[in-house]
Amino acid sequence: MLNPTLFAKTASLALIAAGTALVGQGVWIGAKAEIAQALLARAWARAIDGESAPTPWPWADTWPVARLSVPDLGEHAIVLAEAGGEALAFGPSLLTASATPGEPGISVIAAHRDTHFRFLQHVEPGQTVIIERTDAPPLAFRVTGSEIVEAARSGIETGNGGPARLALVTCWPFDAVTPGPLRYVVWAEPAGDLQTAGLHP
Amino acid sequence: MTSTHRSRGSGSQGGFALVLAAAVFIVSLFLWAEARADAPAPPDAGLVRLSEMEESALLIRTVDAGLYIPAPLVATDIALDIAGPVARATVTQRFENPSDAWVEGIYVFPLPADAGVDRLRMQIGDRFIEGEIHERRQARRIYEEARANGQRASLLEQERPNMFTTSVANIGPGETIIVQIEYQDVARLADGTFELRVPLAITPRYIPADAPQFVAEGRNRPAAVPDAHRITPPLMHPDGEPENALRLPVSITARLQPGFVPGEIASLYHATLVEHLGDGDARISLADGPVPANRDFVLTWRPAEEDRPSAALFTQTLNGETYLLAQVLPPAMLGADTQRRPRETVFVIDNSGSMAGASMRQAKQALLSALDRMQPGDRFNVIRFDNTMEQVFPAPVDASRDNLDRARRFVRGLDANGGTEMLPAMQAALVDATPQDTARVRQVVFLTDGAIGNEDALFAAIHDGLGRSRLFPVGIGSAPNTYFMSRAARAGRGTFTHIGDISEVAGAMDALFAALERPVMTDLDALFPEGALSEIWPAPLPDLYYGEPVLMTARLDNPAGSMRLEGRMGEALWQADLSLSDARPANGIATLWARNRIRAIEELRYQGASPEAINAEVLQTALDFHLVSRLTSLVAVDVTPARPADEALAARDVPLMVPHGWDFEAVMNRSPERQHRAALDPALIDRLAPGTPPAAGDARAREGLALPATATPREWLILLGLLLALAGLAWRVAQRRQSTC
Repeated sequence: MLNPTLFAKTASLALIAAGTALVGQGVWIGAKAEIAQALLARAWARAIDGESAPTPWPWADTWPVARLSVPDLGEHAIVLAEAGGEALAFGPSLLTASATPGEPGISVIAAHRDTHFRFLQHVEPGQTVIIERTDAPPLAFRVTGSEIVEAARSGIETGNGGPARLALVTCWPFDAVTPGPLRYVVWAEPAGDLQTAGLHP
Repeated sequence: MTSTHRSRGSGSQGGFALVLAAAVFIVSLFLWAEARADAPAPPDAGLVRLSEMEESALLIRTVDAGLYIPAPLVATDIALDIAGPVARATVTQRFENPSDAWVEGIYVFPLPADAGVDRLRMQIGDRFIEGEIHERRQARRIYEEARANGQRASLLEQERPNMFTTSVANIGPGETIIVQIEYQDVARLADGTFELRVPLAITPRYIPADAPQFVAEGRNRPAAVPDAHRITPPLMHPDGEPENALRLPVSITARLQPGFVPGEIASLYHATLVEHLGDGDARISLADGPVPANRDFVLTWRPAEEDRPSAALFTQTLNGETYLLAQVLPPAMLGADTQRRPRETVFVIDNSGSMAGASMRQAKQALLSALDRMQPGDRFNVIRFDNTMEQVFPAPVDASRDNLDRARRFVRGLDANGGTEMLPAMQAALVDATPQDTARVRQVVFLTDGAIGNEDALFAAIHDGLGRSRLFPVGIGSAPNTYFMSRAARAGRGTFTHIGDISEVAGAMDALFAALERPVMTDLDALFPEGALSEIWPAPLPDLYYGEPVLMTARLDNPAGSMRLEGRMGEALWQADLSLSDARPANGIATLWARNRIRAIEELRYQGASPEAINAEVLQTALDFHLVSRLTSLVAVDVTPARPADEALAARDVPLMVPHGWDFEAVMNRSPERQHRAALDPALIDRLAPGTPPAAGDARAREGLALPATATPREWLILLGLLLALAGLAWRVAQRRQSTC
């Protein structure tokens, strides 16, 4: 026969423990995203120095390929190569199937809506997105608009050349509680060099 | 009264808290599972990753990036054209799209080491695609132009050096895909027997002790190859056969021109029929028709008379040039009875972290068995390295019992960890304290998995420091850096031994000691009449170890007269005269010559040739001979014959027009009862990634790039966790109040 008092005590303690573990896991996802960006900043410095594909930590399966910033919002992040499936946990990722920013074709950079790309909801048309690459001078893109698409039918066609364009992608809606099939896409077009965009590096 | 009332009240409060807590717990479990679904799914049964592929397959993309479904393989035909030791393999495979959707796929094919695909033909439905060799950047440009023009094209990439990969786009519902590739391979010669291996299935497999063996001439008679069981019988146990029967019949035919009168022609694992055509030539086919593709096809043949020198000359005329392949087996008896010469052997063992586990055990056992072979009068030393280096003795010492025991204790105590700094160890091993000592031969045996990055520095060290030493790399583990080690063996003028499994240690080390202990033929040279020779590769000819044939390729200006081969074996001189008019025509020799030439030019890098000159030479040779190289790629171009305009509407009903010179007959006319049609698990079909029908341009625009999941369950986890913890807390408080009253 089960002792009801002991059962209630054990079960309530288990609930508290499980709740704490969940909170911990949630906090860890956010902390991981922050810590990774700090480590990535150092790998990025090595990338600028000419090291090809410098991994931010020895067992990483990805490496920084660009630095993205939105001066109007004071936001910036190191963009990773989408080499492994885990890159998104650490930073925005340049999808392998898409073009290098500034080259002909569409460059797609995706990140989580609740960490690195939380700021995407505040990005307005006309604002400037700056992409720094390791092998070329910084590029300025002007935001032209945004749209909401289905993940499986994004309409984003890569690999076909065409004018250079930038698509910043995250999940939609921003305040949803569970993962959904919709994505928020911010489109940007080259705005020439930083001077014509009215900015200085 | 009030107390009972309150007590009852708190009791119902406790019950409410319990119900609330349970409800929150169940809801959170449900949401937890949903949140977890955001994380990458674990590999499912029936789905594979590209990196796991060990056999040829057409992989269809699924909605999960990186996971593929193998398309049913309907038929495979392998045609071998063997001239001397050179084999040209034509592999034709037919697949089917099992679904009623348009899909995209990737074709993968495992290649024998050192082989390279130089021809590719594909038929996808009614389209014909052919691979063309172009300079790498130009190949990319052609590919991009074709794509921009809306044509179908694909660029062939090399995923792994021994794995051929190409993308196949736009496969229609139920459509048939035929892929035909050609590659060139060289038969291995060991102890007077040639062995050619065609990989059919190279998955890790269980090897039964009593694997049946077949001899070609008589069916089901045990093979007279006494050590056949040692040559790694790659036979899959019946229990290991997949139940949904994806392994389908393979038909194999071979035309053998050994260049000598062959004795026994045998297939180790398949019953075959041999038809002798005279002049030593033979045609080999499977005795019982197509076989399941569950074991490698291994063909062996040996000369009828072993003690006579056997020589074979083949020529190929291509674009007005004559290419010669000379293969000469020096008389075997010259090596057998000669006295053993004392040796100075330096053993180097890699105990870096990448060797941890089975590799380290194999390396230690191999080294211990090598120490057992040292004899009084020999000298030896043992060096171990990770990112540090340690020598057992400051300089090589006599192989006395005490010294050997000390070395054995050292080896047994080794552990694998640390980084890999091979260069200092290589330099130390090549230090020769007694360069004038002609009584002893000096050998360096190097046991490693070759997991290194500074290959160039090592080749330079080998080239500069070799002197009279000879380098014998021993590759340890299932995936050693074969490229590095076979090149190191060539640069070090030794042989490369591979040990893939602990059970192979004894056999592989015996083979290595045959090379180490028996005399070596040195100073090999080929002499041609004045004005006959244009270029000869390899140059200079490498030293020959026991049982190896002289194998040289040359481009001739004038294929007349006779050539002389001479070499030195210890004190004895060896000579052979061969008449060039005896040469017989064969295919693939020009390709072999070109591959030798590219290899030799690439190795000039370590002798100070300028990179520009090397690049120019390599590129030109690769383009001239249709070879994939460091600087050239295969780009696939649609070569579908244009149909007359008035037939355009009925195009799909017109019988296929196959481009000139293409032959897919072997896999087209297969009797249907032999085809165990492979059914695809219906559950998997739902996971196929939708491809794009070629006519529906607007549909393509609608689909576009599949975007990744970009939400973390972070906030939800925190919210749920707080709710759970609060519910638990509330319950706990309710209990306390209940118990205190």
